[in-house]
Amino acid sequence: MKIVFRLAWRNLWRQPRRTWLTTGAMIFANMLLVFMISLQFGMYSLMIDNALQVFTGHMQVQAPLYNDEKKMRQTVPNIVPLANAIREELQSDKVAARGWAFALASSDDRSFGIGIYGVEPEFENNVSNIPGLTSLGRYLGDNDAAEIVMGSVLARNLHVEVGDEITLMGSGVDGSFAAAVVNIVGIFDSGVTDIDRNIAEIPLGFFQDTFFMEGAGHQVVVFGDGLAAVPELKSRVQSVLPGDSDLVMLDWDALQPGLKQAIQADMSSAFFMYFVLVILVSFSVLNTQLMSVLERTREFGIVMALGLKPGKLGRLVILETAMMGLLGVVLGVAAGALVTAWFTTNGLAFPGMDEMAAKFNLPARMYPQINALTLLAGPITVFIFTMLASIYPAVRLHWQNPVDAMRVA
Amino acid sequence: MSAVRCVDLCKTYRQGDQDIKALDHVSIEIDKGGFVCLSAPSGGGKTTLLNAIGGLDIPDSGEVYVDGQRIDNLSKGDLADLRLRQIGFVFQAYNLIPVLTAQENVEFVMQVQGVATSERNEKAKEILKEVGLEGLENRRPAEMSGGQQQRVAVARAVASRPALILADEPTANLDSKTSDGLMELFTELNENHSSTFIIASHDQRVMNYAKRLVRMLDGRIVEDIDQRAA
Amino acid sequence: MRLLRILFRLAWRNLWRNHRRTIIMLGAIGVGVWAMIFMTALTRGMVDQMIVDSIGVLPGHVQVHHPDYQDDPSISNRMLISADDISERLDTGAVKAWASRVRVPAIITSERESRGVTLLGVDPEAEREISFFDYDEVDGRFLTDVNDKGIVIGKKLAKTLETEVGKRVVLMSQDPDNEIADRGFRVVGLYTAKTKAVEEAYAYVGRRTAQTMLRIGDATSEVVFLGDDYRNVDPIYDVAVSAVGEGLSIRPWYDIDTYLGAMLGVMDGFVLVWVVVIFLALSFGLVNTLVMAVFERVREIGLMLALGMKPGSILGQIVIESMLLITFGLAIGNALAWATVVPLESGIDVSIVGDGMEMWGMSSMLYPKLYVSDMVLASSVVLLLGFLASLSPAWRASRYEPVEAITKV
Repeated sequence: MKIVFRLAWRNLWRQPRRTWLTTGAMIFANMLLVFMISLQFGMYSLMIDNALQVFTGHMQVQAPLYNDEKKMRQTVPNIVPLANAIREELQSDKVAARGWAFALASSDDRSFGIGIYGVEPEFENNVSNIPGLTSLGRYLGDNDAAEIVMGSVLARNLHVEVGDEITLMGSGVDGSFAAAVVNIVGIFDSGVTDIDRNIAEIPLGFFQDTFFMEGAGHQVVVFGDGLAAVPELKSRVQSVLPGDSDLVMLDWDALQPGLKQAIQADMSSAFFMYFVLVILVSFSVLNTQLMSVLERTREFGIVMALGLKPGKLGRLVILETAMMGLLGVVLGVAAGALVTAWFTTNGLAFPGMDEMAAKFNLPARMYPQINALTLLAGPITVFIFTMLASIYPAVRLHWQNPVDAMRVA
Repeated sequence: MSAVRCVDLCKTYRQGDQDIKALDHVSIEIDKGGFVCLSAPSGGGKTTLLNAIGGLDIPDSGEVYVDGQRIDNLSKGDLADLRLRQIGFVFQAYNLIPVLTAQENVEFVMQVQGVATSERNEKAKEILKEVGLEGLENRRPAEMSGGQQQRVAVARAVASRPALILADEPTANLDSKTSDGLMELFTELNENHSSTFIIASHDQRVMNYAKRLVRMLDGRIVEDIDQRAA
Repeated sequence: MRLLRILFRLAWRNLWRNHRRTIIMLGAIGVGVWAMIFMTALTRGMVDQMIVDSIGVLPGHVQVHHPDYQDDPSISNRMLISADDISERLDTGAVKAWASRVRVPAIITSERESRGVTLLGVDPEAEREISFFDYDEVDGRFLTDVNDKGIVIGKKLAKTLETEVGKRVVLMSQDPDNEIADRGFRVVGLYTAKTKAVEEAYAYVGRRTAQTMLRIGDATSEVVFLGDDYRNVDPIYDVAVSAVGEGLSIRPWYDIDTYLGAMLGVMDGFVLVWVVVIFLALSFGLVNTLVMAVFERVREIGLMLALGMKPGSILGQIVIESMLLITFGLAIGNALAWATVVPLESGIDVSIVGDGMEMWGMSSMLYPKLYVSDMVLASSVVLLLGFLASLSPAWRASRYEPVEAITKV
């Protein structure tokens, strides 16, 4: 067996330039695949993390249909005790209750309709990055205080600053008129214009008073240990829900159906591109191996005449391809990992990223994510297709008759 | 003026760790219209001398004149021009361009020279007839026998009427009957076209046909016989 | 000329000498070029659709506002220019349609719920060409004239508000003195848009009715101009400048929606990068093929050189062969692309990931678009780079020493 390996290896280097050019195509493709896939997955996990960390969480407990209709009366009753019970069950602080209402926010000279979250100041920073993004003033403190934090664009549009007072007007859960005067204690800047323009937060206790919630809220947000653990998370939360309630648990995918699909849409176009790349490399390998078989016709004829079975020669050709493919994988992955590693520390930016970042809540630089999957998925596919491409040249050998083969000059 | 004059040519090759003197102070003069056979055992220096005369190889020292013009100091481009316009070549093998037909191969040199289509068509047909290949004009080299291929090569070499025709072992791959035929063709062409022929060969038949026989050994001329007298 | 003819003949015949290799290479180039153009057509279609949709919703290729409107889109920043004034001064040559409207944030309240909307006070006839929905497809009816007392809202908003055609809603905004300006409207029609977000965003009322409610006389918030092609807005821009005069902010769409503007640039960049990447993947095979071709023909190249052919002609011969190969590959690739894109131009349904496409700002139908300019771009890049790639093997071939080459075994 050892001699076959040596033979295959030497055959490979009979035409070093050709071998390098073919391997070069593999290295190029593998490098590109490693980099692109790492970048892609880096971007996806950022997209998911960022999108979920604003308000969504890994899952939420809500009243049925609330997610779709967002109506004031679709409430979760006794929401604070429920949130406490979930915290207890999960032994985790990454649980927070919220209410949500639409209201007219009026300053001295401007009024805008905005969305108001009632949040638990003590826990909100465990489930949302908004508290941390409060760049002016401070975040909410007391659960019953008449305080508000709002997005930077909204503050600009209302012509207000930290310390000013504004009036909120809306309707309570029973449809009655609801109003409050609140003191602006902080302004946050999330970088996403839609959020900065339309959202404000007040303490949950004060929210419940203002909108006559009678202890109810609209959502309990829960974070677990990563996306993979969400099903388990759901079943544990389920055990705490009151038996007679019709509350539903929605995971991030149901809360933000666009997110997964946006990723799928992006992935399918990316996979189309990768596939084309792999096919082109396969052509290159097919070409090289076919040529290498054809130019050795005479030599193969001689060894076949000596009694070697065509099957053995076919295996030799496949072994040669495998060596070449392996070389491509090793060097391609190494080169790809180097390039990617550089970008994981330095980040990648291109013109137009800022605008995309502002729209999709992404940082202005992308950082690829290296792991075994992103590193090997592409190169292994290339390797498999390379091997497939060597089948035809290998099988051709079977059709050859030793005497005919030898006669070819 | 002589057709070819070589003065004190030297050429050394390295082979492995050995220096081989392919040409060792060789001087020779060949008259116009001559029919010379350079004969030597393998490695005797005949091909090197032929290549030096044909501008394919530059000697280490010495001078080469073709038709009175010194050529050993010409540039590559000028040498290419010289070969194209003044010299016809017949090689031992791989004489023809595989993708061209017999007629196209004969026309090749003329076409590169820029001869008009009708003129070179006519000439090529005429010469192919002269070398006995009438009817095979449209065959590709792979469809012809070795002798036929060599005849096409000869036809190509003389088609553009060069003053000098150089042939390197033209009969090496041919059987005796075909070789005789080829040599008769050379003799005939030498007489009809008054071109100078220099043939490098160690084939006894070729030597017999030559008017002048130059024997070489280890890069030196050891014998120079005028065979017309004989 | 005669020389060129023989070079072409040699190149052409040599190309088909090893037909298997040529066919594999043609396949690779064909697939590569197809992928270049197909992918480009898909992206172009996506971006086109995205921009056309977004401009349709914005709407307008060029918009005119009060200089402060962009920062503070309130009633304070209105324009005193009246529709009649513009109409008098307008040279309609490049302008396909135009409209002037009142556009302010407002709150819409039904018996059940309140939401923030953008109030549009429009001239129904002028808006017909610009609108993103067909008036005939509105449930109920669209507004009839500037004095219409009805309101038209999106289906999704109606569902949230639990209202329907024939029911009443109240719109509330501010007048220039910061006093509440409100008015009851009867819902006369519900429109359908491509995305739910749009269906929640806009409420249409008659322009005069809006002006009366807001107490602003003849003033409007914006004037929009629409041309034939969003890529060519300069002529419309000039018309807009002459029609509305000095002192106002006149901006093309890509200035207003920087995300869209950036996307256009990103896509152009992407197309070029994609074309070059595919070419690089192909180039290994191409160079390999040429290297093999030269290698196999060393002796005849030597022969041609010995017969007095100039090295330049040898170089030319190889380059011509490569260009012939590429040209055929391009023809195949372009034909394939044409044959696959044209049947798809009526639209590809990607509604499986519709929410995701919406997130990227695209609709759930994809309309690939084959631009001649893209085909030309891809083909020229391939020809140019192909030419450069073939220079190296061709150069090597032309540098052979005739004696060495001819005696090579």
